[in-house]
Amino acid sequence: MKKIKYLLLVFCFSVLSCNKLDVPPMNIIKDQDVFNSVNGITAYMAKLYSSLPVEDFKYSANLGFNNWNFIANINMYSGEGVNKNISSLTNGNNGYWGAAFTLIRQADYFIETLPKYSANFSNNQTQINQWLGEAHFIRAYTYFALAKRYGGVPIIDKVQYYPEESVQQLQVPRNSEEEVYDYIGQDLDFAIQNMGGTSVQKGRANKYAAAALKSRAMLFAGSIAKYNSVQLFDQSGKRLQGIPSSKADTYFKASYDASMILQGHYSLYRAGLPDKYQNYVNLFSDDNSSENIFVKYYHYPDVVHSYDALMVPFQQTGPGYSSYCNPTLNYVELFDGLPKNADGTLKTKDANGKYILYQNRMDLFANAEPRLRATVIFPGDVFRGQVIDVLRGIYTGQVTNGISSLIPDGYTGTYPTTNLKTSSSNAQTPYTLPNGTTMNPAGLSGYFTGGGVCTRTGFFIRKYMNPNKAQADMALHHSDQPWIEMRYAEVLLNRAEADYELYSDGKTDIDYRQDAFNCINDIRDRAGAILLTDPTQLNINTIRIERKKELAFENKLWWDIKRWRVADTEINNKIYRVLNPFYAANAYAYFFDARFQESNATFTFNPLWYYEPIPAGELITNPNLIQNSGY
Amino acid sequence: MKKIFYYLSLFAIIFTANSCFKIDDVAAPDKVLTGNVIDSTTGKPIQTEQGNGIRIKLDELSWSANPIPTYFGVKQDGTFSDTKIFAGRYRITPVDGPFVPLIQLSSTGDTISNRSKILNIKASTKVNFTVEPFLKVEWVSDPVVNPDSTVTVQIKFTRGTTNPAYQFNVTDAYLFVSENTYVGNNNYDGRYSVQVSYSGTAGNAQLGQPITIKSKKMPGNRTYYIRVGARTADNVQKRYNYTDIKPVSINLAK
Repeated sequence: MKKIKYLLLVFCFSVLSCNKLDVPPMNIIKDQDVFNSVNGITAYMAKLYSSLPVEDFKYSANLGFNNWNFIANINMYSGEGVNKNISSLTNGNNGYWGAAFTLIRQADYFIETLPKYSANFSNNQTQINQWLGEAHFIRAYTYFALAKRYGGVPIIDKVQYYPEESVQQLQVPRNSEEEVYDYIGQDLDFAIQNMGGTSVQKGRANKYAAAALKSRAMLFAGSIAKYNSVQLFDQSGKRLQGIPSSKADTYFKASYDASMILQGHYSLYRAGLPDKYQNYVNLFSDDNSSENIFVKYYHYPDVVHSYDALMVPFQQTGPGYSSYCNPTLNYVELFDGLPKNADGTLKTKDANGKYILYQNRMDLFANAEPRLRATVIFPGDVFRGQVIDVLRGIYTGQVTNGISSLIPDGYTGTYPTTNLKTSSSNAQTPYTLPNGTTMNPAGLSGYFTGGGVCTRTGFFIRKYMNPNKAQADMALHHSDQPWIEMRYAEVLLNRAEADYELYSDGKTDIDYRQDAFNCINDIRDRAGAILLTDPTQLNINTIRIERKKELAFENKLWWDIKRWRVADTEINNKIYRVLNPFYAANAYAYFFDARFQESNATFTFNPLWYYEPIPAGELITNPNLIQNSGY
Repeated sequence: MKKIFYYLSLFAIIFTANSCFKIDDVAAPDKVLTGNVIDSTTGKPIQTEQGNGIRIKLDELSWSANPIPTYFGVKQDGTFSDTKIFAGRYRITPVDGPFVPLIQLSSTGDTISNRSKILNIKASTKVNFTVEPFLKVEWVSDPVVNPDSTVTVQIKFTRGTTNPAYQFNVTDAYLFVSENTYVGNNNYDGRYSVQVSYSGTAGNAQLGQPITIKSKKMPGNRTYYIRVGARTADNVQKRYNYTDIKPVSINLAK
């Protein structure tokens, strides 16, 4: 009897306590915690922005986003530079899909939930609209990252719930490529209309960032419509790859209109003038630049990247890496101010085929365009207070009748050993010159014939490099310069390109060619390049080459040569050219040999790669997805 | 008592381990699919390049109407062979090549024509496809080795198809030179090869005309392999139509 009493007592307590235990779990942050204060919103936004697929110092073709190792960065794929690890091309696919839809869901959730809590922000519609605009910007940014890779992808514009929705409902098929770009356009229109001109915080979007993104995305869509010839349809006749060519001008006009929104609010950076070289260098480090539209910030030691460590010239190596970006001679030859042969290649020999001699290596580059010098470190230029010493070898032969070509034109093999002193590594044996002084056969930064770390092309990268870092800090995870994802120069180039496409398609409502001319000359003037004198000098290639010169090594050109559908022509059995400086011992002077890369690395772009394959795992999870054609 | 327990556990181990020997597996694929991709203008297998040329697309319809396709390559001489195929029902389509696509779609996605083949592969199977090349490229005369160790070739290209929708502008003719027999746009030596490019419709005027291309100087004494390719614009995969391969011997008189 007593037992039963006790049991009853225990039973009563347990039943009662059940009610009291039904409290919200303490370890989960709930909507009312996040959406009740500005700080909550800021925290939510921090997550969204940090997941944004920005192709910055931590994006590479093989490892994707947010990985310190960006040795295989896409600038090495597009012909701007080479490095010792990359000897062939791939389609550049790193399976970016799942993370994109996670981010899209988080943006959808924010857009659906915030209005329910507007009372917490005293119904301040301006503030709420700004936040909603940011979420739309983030969603559009993510969809653009998908569309440029895969073409049409499923549009998920509301939060999906499982198990409330069946698995079949969650298996959303792909939308057409055109629908995705139109959706991006709508989201950005919302963002432009609802956001103000200033960001809530540094590094967050505003109205103009949305407009700049729109000018970029719509130009991409216009190019696909105009130049793509791949078709893929689903059973219902939706075009998953490709956009009807009749839509091209609509997109070009949308791009033009979006870039005009920024007119007068941003300008090219000129605060460092009158020295155009220093001005262009500072452009990438001045936080108050009038050109910065959307910037991703880093901060040592919390949020870091490894740009300086990977890119620094060999002689300034910190603990570890160096020399992972060597601009090609092909890229350098795009610029003005260098002696050129009739075919546009760099002139290194005189009319008799003998090498031209220089007292200093920099003499060859004396009149080079300032923008080039601010983008690329020439052999013999000064960086961090040191001469960047690049030397391929010492020529010990006679010089009285001039020095004949060391190798035949177009030769891809190694140099002959007669009359040449070279070094296989940075442990060097000095060579005694005829006047008794000694000199190392290779420069401090290469070239070393042993295949180790050094420049492969004669050049190093200057753009974005921090000149004020101590050598010990040229280490992994020690860099924190901000990445300028969108700057006004790109908007001007988008505008000029859209202008010219509209002009060549016969549109005359505005003098598009004159507008393109003004944009290009603005950029050239800031760069210190030779100005165009007349709009008739423009053609689509002048605009594209200007883009290559201005935006190189900013992870942009790979996408450009893909959207123009020229990558397979530009990169076909391609061996890149390099510039090797030599020292002629008997002439006490330098000469340069321009040749094909000695590693003989040959690059070919397969036309299949204009679209990337949808990850195989996603096709299995969602049987309604159709793989891109050819994969 | 303890002993019995040990025996029991021993039996348990033997029984469970025994099940491991039953391999949960299907037999390796052993069916062979061979065939030719035949050039309708010559009746012979089409000349292509290996690796980057034509691929055979296999859709296995045994399990799904919309399967993930697999691919394998066609050899340089237009023949193909896959010796590791599961028995099953397949849709077979040569794709990516410089010929009128076997599955043609309109700009709105309607199928205009579909000449892919659906086969039940039960035993080793041979299948031929006839394709209309964009261009037919022929030697006009044998290559001539010049005294300065260059080679002069004469070729002509004509339309391989009468379908006007696939008669694009001719963009270029390319004399490919290689030191081995695998010569084509996938493998050539840029030092000796020469490209003749046409802009706009200029190339169309050359249709049927003998075209002379002279290589760059080739160092001797050895055999090179040469071949001429020509291609048209708007060919999605940008493949060349080729002549067959000819060896040329460079013998420098010393």
